[in-house]
Amino acid sequence: MVLLENDSFLTELTQLFQKCRTSGSVVITLKKYDGRTKPAPRKGHTESFEPADNKCLIRASDGKKKISTVVSTKEVIKFQMAYSNLLRAHMDGLKKKDKKSKSKKTKATQ
Amino acid sequence: MPYYQTWEEFARAAEKLYLTDPMKVRVVLKYRHCDGNLCVKVTDNAACLQYKTDQAQDVKKIEKLHGKLMRLMVSKETHSGSMEMD
Repeated sequence: MVLLENDSFLTELTQLFQKCRTSGSVVITLKKYDGRTKPAPRKGHTESFEPADNKCLIRASDGKKKISTVVSTKEVIKFQMAYSNLLRAHMDGLKKKDKKSKSKKTKATQ
Repeated sequence: MPYYQTWEEFARAAEKLYLTDPMKVRVVLKYRHCDGNLCVKVTDNAACLQYKTDQAQDVKKIEKLHGKLMRLMVSKETHSGSMEMD
């Protein structure tokens, strides 16, 4: 799992989308993150760690390659804008709903 | 694991689930360009809410929900166990 900076993550995510255009899926996971870098201590040890409250973890994968990034409050505005644009730009293979069917398959000529 | 039929219900349930326990909830988004569909899942490992779509109009809604939850996650919680003194 590669942990990247926000910008690198967005670049890599773009590449993931481009790679998966012909086959495969892109899976993106979003989770709140409290900044812990060590696994939870077993009983007996006191947790000497201050949980941070202002971060989230974003992971992406195409099934083979895995990337991730941590976004905090300061970066979220910029990241969210770029991220939204990215999603909207790449998730364009879905059906568009129009009342007048323009597709060639459904020709209503009799 | 139920797939919601309407986006409205899914979005409301997802936000509600997140607010009950922010640390436990994760949002998973799966996009398949070759099949032309998009699945969203919100779970806290006990409850699981899913929404599936192949409509372009839902992309914007899903992306907005993603952004909303992202902002909720990075904002400091004012209720539930805050250490700051007002």
